[in-house]
Amino acid sequence: MLRDARIYQILFLALFLTLGIGTRDWTLHPRMILTAIATCLTTQAIATWVVGRVRSQESESEGNIQNSKFTWADSPETKIQNSPEPQPPITNSQSLIPNFPSPGSPSPTPCPLSPTGLLSPLITSLGLSLLLRTEHYSTMVLAGSVAILSKFVLRVQDKHLFNPGNIGIVAAVLLTQDAWISPGQWGEESWYALVFLGAGGIVLQRVGRWDTTVAFLGAYGFLEALRNVWLGWTWDVWAHRLMSGSLLLFALFMVTDPRTIPNDRTARLLWAGAIALLTFVLRNVFFIPTAVFWALFVLSPLTLLLDAVWQAPRFEWRRAVKS
Amino acid sequence: MKLFQTLTISLLVLISSLFVATKAWAFCGFYVAKADANLYNQASQVAIARSGNRTVLTMANDYQGEVKDFAIVVPVPVVLKKEQVEVGSPKAIARLDAFSAPRLVEYFDPDPCAPQVSFERMPLPAAAPQSRRDGAAQRDRNSLGVTIEEKFTVGEYDILILSAKESGGLETWLIENGYKIPQGARDLLRPYIRQKMKFFVAKVNLKEFKQAGYQNLRPIRMTYDSPRFMLPLRLGMVNAKSAQDLLVYVLTPTGQAEVTNYRTVKVPSGNEVPTFVKNEFNAFYKSMFQTSYEREGRNIAFLEYAWDMANCDPCSAEPLSREELKDAGVFWLDQPEVPSPLSSPFRRRPMPTSGVFITRLHVRYTRDKFPEDLMFHATNNRELFQGRYVLRYPFMGEATCSQGKQYVRSLPRRFEQEAQTLAKLTGWNIQDIRNKLPNAQVQSLSWWEQLWLALSGS
Repeated sequence: MLRDARIYQILFLALFLTLGIGTRDWTLHPRMILTAIATCLTTQAIATWVVGRVRSQESESEGNIQNSKFTWADSPETKIQNSPEPQPPITNSQSLIPNFPSPGSPSPTPCPLSPTGLLSPLITSLGLSLLLRTEHYSTMVLAGSVAILSKFVLRVQDKHLFNPGNIGIVAAVLLTQDAWISPGQWGEESWYALVFLGAGGIVLQRVGRWDTTVAFLGAYGFLEALRNVWLGWTWDVWAHRLMSGSLLLFALFMVTDPRTIPNDRTARLLWAGAIALLTFVLRNVFFIPTAVFWALFVLSPLTLLLDAVWQAPRFEWRRAVKS
Repeated sequence: MKLFQTLTISLLVLISSLFVATKAWAFCGFYVAKADANLYNQASQVAIARSGNRTVLTMANDYQGEVKDFAIVVPVPVVLKKEQVEVGSPKAIARLDAFSAPRLVEYFDPDPCAPQVSFERMPLPAAAPQSRRDGAAQRDRNSLGVTIEEKFTVGEYDILILSAKESGGLETWLIENGYKIPQGARDLLRPYIRQKMKFFVAKVNLKEFKQAGYQNLRPIRMTYDSPRFMLPLRLGMVNAKSAQDLLVYVLTPTGQAEVTNYRTVKVPSGNEVPTFVKNEFNAFYKSMFQTSYEREGRNIAFLEYAWDMANCDPCSAEPLSREELKDAGVFWLDQPEVPSPLSSPFRRRPMPTSGVFITRLHVRYTRDKFPEDLMFHATNNRELFQGRYVLRYPFMGEATCSQGKQYVRSLPRRFEQEAQTLAKLTGWNIQDIRNKLPNAQVQSLSWWEQLWLALSGS
């Protein structure tokens, strides 16, 4: 039942949302969360249907009808690996990843209206609700639809160019006059940090992408430590900067989205390091409080390049089911 | 919320005076008194008008020592020239304070047996005195890596803008020039020097001060362009003996301002409290603030007010006029009529907006809980908020109809509820509160009803 790491992710995000609304001073209305969820699910359904139609028409025109039936499970984030090029051998660490289908493993039979197709948009909508603030439902609708559509439109070789939640937030902030992000919304209390680390650890361990979080937090923490030493601040300043609940949430739940980050571990480490460096620069040189989101947005497309240099099997959420 | 208000009087009590009185000023920097004046710096008020990178920062001054002893050192992001520094208007700060202060609102229950009556509202603004004072600074000479970037006199202040290469040099320079540096300041100067920040050093020019015949030091206002939207707290904590209060009025064209590196939390608001609080509002607000501050972990910024400058409801003071806003540092009203995008199609009523949104933040800070300087950002959040406490006066006349009897029977429960709310907000003893309640038989509540009320809260 809980083999899909996304279910854990949804549970934890819902927990944080509840915690945030219950214990933090958020101006977040349940209706806004429902709007985000409804938008993401609807957009996903429509886009999936459209893509399915297009594909079936294409295959019909080629006289090939074997893939004409489209289902939820066939949506971009659950599509099963079917890469024509030869795969490099799976490394030790990758073999731990439960969701990797080994090359040539049989695809699970797509089940019409399978709920697994709903998991990703649900995660995106919960992420948007946690991070994006707005007073208008239309803004949330915009963020949600851009987030989901980006997965269908902005993709190269079956991989998303941008993290859906991230591009949704960026679109809302850039395109409307009433969206904002509250970087200080979680505060810097240690027990929140522990909850985030614990929950994030469980998800990442299942997804096998903990290396990205470690690289990001490690690199960012290191840069901030250098700055701290250089400026001569006491270490509580450093700790305060790193204990930010928003930063941890980002490091554990956004930067690690396996469908938008490089496949190979070396590439991932480089990529996370680059995001950390850019975040550091944006925050300390340009004084942008929401630096992490911009850094991720700007560097997301780098994944393509890194994947081209370091090839590795692509990540799949669903465990290959033996027929 | 409820439908029984007939006559409404909003009563405004200015809270800031509670915190500002008898304290000295120095959040941004520290006092460098030249005599052993008894210096405390526990409260300060700052108005920040900001649009884009342009910032107009007005520091209101409640220094309580001898004027000749006044001197401050404040890190600033850029070198300020004479035309960028001016003497601000004390009245503007007082007006911002009055406009945004937490408030008490009174409602009077109607006669439950009388037919529905329309209600009217009569705001009664109350004024609060503003106390201020000042001090002085010193002058120059080079070596030690300290450069006097600018030197000028503005109003009653002699001002130096210093840049320094290292903290030891700056400390020595300040000491050699007669400034009394608090112990431990040296380590704190270094991070600012390394961030290439400059030091704004001000002292009082006694001649100017006497000539002008001022009683108090006036606020200092600086204008600069910098992406840094912050207030340096750390230096101010060097000679702080206890928690300090800082009231920040942020004026933006967009919406609420927030602190980005600490939580911004709304003060409790909208609570119904017993009517005797009217006479003890200062004590009530102080206790309530302290209780909330402790409950939230002592490391947060409280939002006390967030409103468009076009209106208020109820008003604790009239909204600031265009001229007063300019006095408070708002500079974008001069630019060709580009008010907020929402305003143009509408006239005043539906969505009045003046192009200025005020956020009042109240920070009580100590060294252990605020390791970093305060960083802010302006958001597009136009949600209105005010710290507001409600007094509901019961109808005490004779009520003979059945509805009236029911109303009278409901009073003890309501009083108890208000007492519980008050106890919870302030931490005051519930028994003491009950003793001050109006004459309705509180005893008529059974123990389980009281328990239920206590558990269910306000």
